[in-house]
Amino acid sequence: MPDVILKNLPFLMSGLGNTLLLAFIGIVGGTATGLILAILRHLRVPVLGRVALLYTEIVRGIPLLVMLFICYFALPALFGYRSGAFQASALGFVLFIAAYLAEEFRSGLRSIRTGLEQAGLATGLRPAQVFRLIILPQALRRSVPPVFSQYVRLLKFTSVASVIGVSELTGSALLVNAREFEPVIILTMTALTYLVICSILSFIGRVLYAQLQIRT
Amino acid sequence: MDYTFDWSPIWNNRDLIAEGLLITIALSLVALVFALVVGVLVGTVSASKSRIGRLVAGVFVECMRNVPLLIHMYFWYMALAFLRLPAFSCAVLGLTLYSSAYVAEVVRAGIGGVSRGQTQAAQATGLSPLKVRFLIVYPQALRNIAPSLASLSSQLIKDSSLASVIAVGELTYQAGAIEGQTFRTFEVYITIALLYLALVLCVSRGILALPGMRHAPRVAADA
Repeated sequence: MPDVILKNLPFLMSGLGNTLLLAFIGIVGGTATGLILAILRHLRVPVLGRVALLYTEIVRGIPLLVMLFICYFALPALFGYRSGAFQASALGFVLFIAAYLAEEFRSGLRSIRTGLEQAGLATGLRPAQVFRLIILPQALRRSVPPVFSQYVRLLKFTSVASVIGVSELTGSALLVNAREFEPVIILTMTALTYLVICSILSFIGRVLYAQLQIRT
Repeated sequence: MDYTFDWSPIWNNRDLIAEGLLITIALSLVALVFALVVGVLVGTVSASKSRIGRLVAGVFVECMRNVPLLIHMYFWYMALAFLRLPAFSCAVLGLTLYSSAYVAEVVRAGIGGVSRGQTQAAQATGLSPLKVRFLIVYPQALRNIAPSLASLSSQLIKDSSLASVIAVGELTYQAGAIEGQTFRTFEVYITIALLYLALVLCVSRGILALPGMRHAPRVAADA
């Protein structure tokens, strides 16, 4: 490994830690929020279903960078609170990826044939039970591949947090570069690190999908 | 919530915003054209029979796609600093390479979705291999992948906001500049968020409204 990297390894590692932490918060928070949005829309809950639709359409039309600026600068100014860059970017990632995940979960829900629902109702289950025990598990299983590709996108997108001053992998790499000025080596190593962690995440997705298949 | 709204700084800086919007459109358009060209080439290779071709295309796609766009931007901006390219070209390069990987995957799937019978029938009528591609395979693939291409295009427009980090004077960059002068944080970012939203909606709806992009009715089942 090049000297420049070895010398700054602890610093870069703490950056990698922040990247993974941001991605983790985004994945957990985004999945929960996205699933709620998708269910609200799928069950056509009055008012809330419309709100969920509006939310996903708006957020999916806004660049992540603008979303982070809104979470870091605009929302605190509007509501009069103070926010650190890390908290603001975590909030931004959750709000941002939730809209995309909602869309993936919803198409998973829509792909379940209505015959299954009717069969479930015919066996005497209540509508809520049919949804929870029959529709939802199958929809979740089907949405694993697209959802994991959103997770990978999120993992890459955490790099944008460096723009508002979060010291994650990209942010610390840029700091190291400002001190050492070896952009080609430092950025190549950063790119390789992203390549590896993104590949691991999509590999996990593939394994999970294979594990969840129903064997007949 | 004791924030008082003041939209006048936005209106006073409307020419800056308009300039930013124009640069955003130009950047996205140029990058989109290049990304489509590169993406179709790579996608065609990765849908081909050649094993080495598929491998090379696969490595290209994985390497371009799994590296954050921000790193692409910084990398091409700093690594090619000795060429003294304007930031705009570096942003085009970064956006093109990053997006072309996504286009390639979509194109590969689109070509794979055209049934073998179509190619075989076209060859049987005596069309040259090039004509088979351009007259038979690509038009059908295009219809199948039009929705994905539309969403990739709007993705690209949103991604172009990252060019602001290498000081390309597009919409997000101008917003930062206006915000720095006027401190009307909320108004500025809401305004550009709405502008992006409008742009993305126009493009994603517009592409699908083009003639030839809609799904052709399925006339007969493939043999």
